[in-house]
Amino acid sequence: MTLAARESLAYPETLPTRLVPDLIDRFQKVDYLQVFDTGFAVSETVEHFATRKCRLHFSAVYEVLHNPPVIAAKKDGRLVDKKAQDQALYQDWKVRFDKALNYPKGTQFDVCFFWDFFNYLDDIALKAFSDSLSPFLKETTVGHAYVLLKEGYPVLNRTFGLAAKDEIIVRQAHWPALTAYARPQARVTSMLQDFRVNHSVLRRDGLLEISLKAQMATL
Amino acid sequence: MFDRNKDKPSVKPESPSPASSNSGTNMSQSTPSPAPSHAPSTPSVSSSSKSAVLGATIKVKGDISGEENLLIEGQVEGSVSLASHELTIGKTGKLSANLTAKTIRIDGEVEGDITGKEKVVVTSTSQIKGNIVTPKMTLEEGARFKGTIDIDPAHANSSASPSPSVAPSSKPASSSASSGSNSSSSGSSNS
Repeated sequence: MTLAARESLAYPETLPTRLVPDLIDRFQKVDYLQVFDTGFAVSETVEHFATRKCRLHFSAVYEVLHNPPVIAAKKDGRLVDKKAQDQALYQDWKVRFDKALNYPKGTQFDVCFFWDFFNYLDDIALKAFSDSLSPFLKETTVGHAYVLLKEGYPVLNRTFGLAAKDEIIVRQAHWPALTAYARPQARVTSMLQDFRVNHSVLRRDGLLEISLKAQMATL
Repeated sequence: MFDRNKDKPSVKPESPSPASSNSGTNMSQSTPSPAPSHAPSTPSVSSSSKSAVLGATIKVKGDISGEENLLIEGQVEGSVSLASHELTIGKTGKLSANLTAKTIRIDGEVEGDITGKEKVVVTSTSQIKGNIVTPKMTLEEGARFKGTIDIDPAHANSSASPSPSVAPSSKPASSSASSGSNSSSSGSSNS
């Protein structure tokens, strides 16, 4: 049994992180922290931030993935217009993410915990998610994510929480398994137009842990 | 509004959140059952006094307000406001309502905005979609909460409203929408 497989058997699991402390520390002097999380609320995350004035946005946007859009193919023998099909898919994803990220105007996140969410989005869905998130980002926004570089590691369908600024708690997800997409980091970040990778750490379990920094497009 | 046996002197003051009314009778007295069938393992919202009970078969459409503790095991559509008392949503409780109380404990299902002036406790059996505003928040492992949590520990020892600076609601919430301004939060969050 591989180390990664052994680790997968024991939940909750604690993942040490060297990237999150830097993300959190830079907001120590901020008196009102806005945190975005792609998952459901996790007790450790709530407890961690409960000592300071903050707003925690638990979007549970994973829910959107359980019912992905499907564009019906034409059956009249004509060639499929792939570009139009992709555009229709993008629009469908965008509508769903806009609905899931229906935050009040003016909401701007300081820290975004994407956890492993990107790994369940194909390129079109990832682009749509990035565009839906964009209105809630600002120049100082930072993010954290795990990127699946290769398949074959038991690192999918889990929930994440922040037990301490250098400790991430991981549990088995309570939802059905989702389709995952292994991709190089560059392809993931090319879809995230508002972020660039600040630091990255390749973990033993095959995930690439990345910290992100906003790079807002200038008009 | 609620039928309470106020003359009963034997209610234990330290009993945890009361058991549900299995009889389905209308708003029955919460009796101090020695072994509540779904008593919470951690009575983190103190029950220092008796609670009125909305039984499991009771459905209410409208606004509920009062000056006593309340346990809801039934269904409510509307709002619940107990300005200075404790509100418990039992395991069988299903609410589509905005909630305001001094302390709120949720074991059941809630869709709506929740304002706990002192504390909100979300237990492992709960399912919540909405926004929570409170100075002190406890979320048990296993709870399913989707929404926004506004925490301001500075108000933990104050009975005053936490006064959220941005109305966090995705649906109308009279309790939070009227206070504060949007600009102050985003302005203060710049690093």
